[in-house]
Amino acid sequence: MTQLPRLSRAGHAAHCKRCLSGLPASQTDIDGSRLALAFYCIGSLDLLGIVEEQVSLQERNLWKQWLWEQQTHGKYGTGFRPSPFMTAQHISSKEQEQVESEYGSYDTPHIIMTYTALISLAILRDDFATLDRAGLLRFLSTCQREDGSFSTVPGSNESDLRTLYCAFAISSMLNDWSGVNVPRAISFINTCRTYEGGYGQSPFCEAQGGTTYIALASLKLASDAFGRTGYLTPSQQQETVQWLLRNQASSGGFCGRTGKDADACYCFWCGAALKILGAEDLVDSNALASFLGRCQFKYGGISKAPGENPDPYHTYLSLAALAMYPPHLSDTDDNARSWRLDALDPLLNAREETTLWIRRHIPVPSNGPS
Amino acid sequence: MPSKAAADTPLFAEREEWADVQPLEQYEGVNPIAPIFYSPEYKDATGYFRAIVQAGEKSARVLELTENIIRQNPAHYSAWCYRYETLLALLPPPAEDADAGAQPDIPPLLAAELALMDELAVTFLKTYQVWHHRRLLVPLARQPRRELAFIQRGLAVDAKNYHTWSYRQWLLAACYGRGAAADPAMPDAVLDEAAGVWAGELDFVDAALAQDVRNNSAWHHRFFVVYGARGQADSEAERARIFRRELIYTKQNIAIAPSNPSAWNYLRGVLRETNTPFAAVQDFARLYAYPHSADETRDVVDLDNPAPGADAELPCVQAMEFLADAWETEAGAEMWKSLANEHDTIRRQYWEHRIRDAHQTIKPAVE
Repeated sequence: MTQLPRLSRAGHAAHCKRCLSGLPASQTDIDGSRLALAFYCIGSLDLLGIVEEQVSLQERNLWKQWLWEQQTHGKYGTGFRPSPFMTAQHISSKEQEQVESEYGSYDTPHIIMTYTALISLAILRDDFATLDRAGLLRFLSTCQREDGSFSTVPGSNESDLRTLYCAFAISSMLNDWSGVNVPRAISFINTCRTYEGGYGQSPFCEAQGGTTYIALASLKLASDAFGRTGYLTPSQQQETVQWLLRNQASSGGFCGRTGKDADACYCFWCGAALKILGAEDLVDSNALASFLGRCQFKYGGISKAPGENPDPYHTYLSLAALAMYPPHLSDTDDNARSWRLDALDPLLNAREETTLWIRRHIPVPSNGPS
Repeated sequence: MPSKAAADTPLFAEREEWADVQPLEQYEGVNPIAPIFYSPEYKDATGYFRAIVQAGEKSARVLELTENIIRQNPAHYSAWCYRYETLLALLPPPAEDADAGAQPDIPPLLAAELALMDELAVTFLKTYQVWHHRRLLVPLARQPRRELAFIQRGLAVDAKNYHTWSYRQWLLAACYGRGAAADPAMPDAVLDEAAGVWAGELDFVDAALAQDVRNNSAWHHRFFVVYGARGQADSEAERARIFRRELIYTKQNIAIAPSNPSAWNYLRGVLRETNTPFAAVQDFARLYAYPHSADETRDVVDLDNPAPGADAELPCVQAMEFLADAWETEAGAEMWKSLANEHDTIRRQYWEHRIRDAHQTIKPAVE
């Protein structure tokens, strides 16, 4: 293969730290998903292995404090909101306390934010002493709909496979699946499967790399929890592997749908899906790294394609893809060390050590693995 | 991206008609992570919005306020949600004695909302919330044909937009699918047009593929129309007719552009859906799986197996893969070797894996 550039670790870390310190007004559309953006930034630092070394204890504590402040309680149960974007500042502190004790109908927790909050807190090695586990289960159950899918916020009609994965991931983290109706959710996943061998975002939708990951990870989380296998027949599994592998373009990057251009984020979504299916040895990881190497922005951060602007989402998912698919470089290659990352757990989408922390600290102590 | 249009209008704080509302600033307790440096216009509008929500006001001016916020941040799901509820509160209730099956008149307020959504959906094509709001309006307006026309305009702007296609599929399934006939609120007029609508969808796909034969969203839509939404036809003769039609349609499109993965995936899909072995179309695939040969004869036109053009790039990787899957495992090995070493080297590890596994677990894709 042609020589790989360095993975500019310091540049990518700096990009994420910059975003954590503040976003310009042009990013106002992040308002309703700020916590997810925080996760992509903190997660990138975790994948680069520098959270403890390069973020002061004091700063980590402030981050934790802000994350916990997004945990809110109310009539639909407990979860995390994206940010206080719908929370009003009150004049007296007494009034403030009252408002904070219960969320209003338009300031509810959000299921995707709840998943990203738990992972972010685990990265910061929180002890989860203040996690309202019972409230969380109630929240999941309120979000589940008749058809087995989950809404983003209680009562919303915005629902698709993304939210179902979050419900499964949270149940797995809690090691308690009593908040979800699993058979109904699995039948929803099955209705999203398409003739191409991938999964669409909702029933009848076109197969897409991101939702295919989501579907496969959800099925695997459930089969790990219940010791049941065979959610896919061998020939279905074969079709899915074939479709996913065909998505690797000659540039080395993966596309999300048949015939589309490669995009850095699909290197993760398709790559992680293949890993879940046990097909990771079939991916050309050198070509993948060379594509992601070209997606690096010269002032830090990774973008969706070469020459585009970087963002934390593509930075995190590119690093996560590289953690699963490190390029095979000879030790004499000067750049080899820059590409080395710790192993990633493809199911929860976190560094393996972070997953271990989750397994040890999020389940109810008596209910968790000892 | 927030729209700049908001800067041209006065702040809510400067408007007489909002003087009765005390705006509520956003709460930022501890040191915020990734704070957004909001524009003054966004701070202003959201301050009034928090106050309105707290007061529970659902009046006409709330529509103006939420539109202003949405134009600055189309992903503000609370603004969308509150807007919808306000709309419901302001719309006249359906007449008591109206025939449930009749096509309702569209009240002016709803007509205005639909017009606004037509504009915003194109401006914010990639925002989830825009499309979810639209779905909520469908049962109120009950005019799915109008929506189909709108989607067509949207796809002209971006022919592969995922949200736009998903919306079309959802709309068709909800209004003309199996469940719709059982829905007492569905106007008879809508149910009566179902057959025509489904037939029209095939023309719609044809037009999209005539523009770009590699548009996978259009191929997917065809599968949805033919097999996905309503299942297979009841009579065997009809099923056979549809199968033949789909097969020849796909083959003809492969003849136009042989290395089109979407068409080959569609072919695989039709064969699997109908439990037809891949080997049934091997004569066709063979025409594409080898280099052009000197003795190619074009005098016999085989309508069932349209041949590639003289300038087609052969062999075509998709045809090779298809044949290898169709054949008994060992015969496929030569094909896989050729893919691994020459024609599809990025998947070398995969093809080598297929060769290794040929004697073991993996059988051809259709059993």
